[in-house]
Amino acid sequence: MADQLIEKVRDAAEGQIDFEGQRFAERLATALLSIVGFISFAVGFFLQDIKLALFIGLGGAALTFLVVVPPWPVYNQKPVHWLQVPGSQSAGQGIIVDGKVIS
Amino acid sequence: MHSTLVRAQNVFGFFTTVCFVVAGLIALSDFSWERKPSSTVSVKDVQVVRGRPHYYSTKKEEYAHIRFNLNTDLSSLFTWNTKQVFVYVSATWPSNSTGPRDNEAVIWDTIITSPSADHLQNIGPAAMKKLVKSAKGKSIDPSRGKLNLKNQKAKYQITSPTGKLAETDDVVLKVHYNVQPWVGMLTWTPQVDFGGWKTMKGGVSKAFTLPALKKKKEEPKKATS
Repeated sequence: MADQLIEKVRDAAEGQIDFEGQRFAERLATALLSIVGFISFAVGFFLQDIKLALFIGLGGAALTFLVVVPPWPVYNQKPVHWLQVPGSQSAGQGIIVDGKVIS
Repeated sequence: MHSTLVRAQNVFGFFTTVCFVVAGLIALSDFSWERKPSSTVSVKDVQVVRGRPHYYSTKKEEYAHIRFNLNTDLSSLFTWNTKQVFVYVSATWPSNSTGPRDNEAVIWDTIITSPSADHLQNIGPAAMKKLVKSAKGKSIDPSRGKLNLKNQKAKYQITSPTGKLAETDDVVLKVHYNVQPWVGMLTWTPQVDFGGWKTMKGGVSKAFTLPALKKKKEEPKKATS
């Protein structure tokens, strides 16, 4: 029970996402940060306000962190389906450790 | 990008790159505005007195107390990247030794902050309130670059390394400035035109002679340069 709980917490903290999700997250982070940088410079330049530029930059970075870092469900839409091990009927993986098959 | 930690590291890493690039662009944007400062400075009153460099000193030196008029238009120095402008007036006179350099001593200075840097000024709460209020709702305030000082007393009395200063000829007052940006390089008064950055128009007084010791005499009227 305690082991399962710890496992769950560890999974949540590690926040694994699937391969497609990784590609998407990478591109999203690059695009968002570049756009935020451009907007913060443009707004600051045309409104002549460096504080505004700073806060747009920091706010946009915080938003990017929020969007990209947690393992949102959108990054886990194509989980990898592993093939069954040939010869094993059960759902168990049939790995043999010390002569015993663990499921 | 497979786990939370790796994603956080990647996003932060690229964030620092974006910060650096934007900061570079801000520094470069300084060149897109013309700087055409102008000023006139003239001497109002000079006197030379004898004094001690500090209370227990046995040495006596001559000190010049200079009053001057200053009129500047530094408004073109204020852009979004200007943190503060440091303005100072110096007195320059030829060295009587064989050295190639003139003597130069600062007699007065001031710091003009941009509204974005008002909170950095080292002034009392009442003056701070007034300063902040003067630029309420404005991100930059070029009108602060316009100084008009009449009969301004020097902040610093000056002497020379020899301790002798009375009856020095060919003394001129010069106006200088530093632009301190939020991002980029500190720039000094340019000595040559650099693209849109022009040299100071005016900014040098007519040559005057320091009076003899202890005679408090009014300088003959000098026209502004």
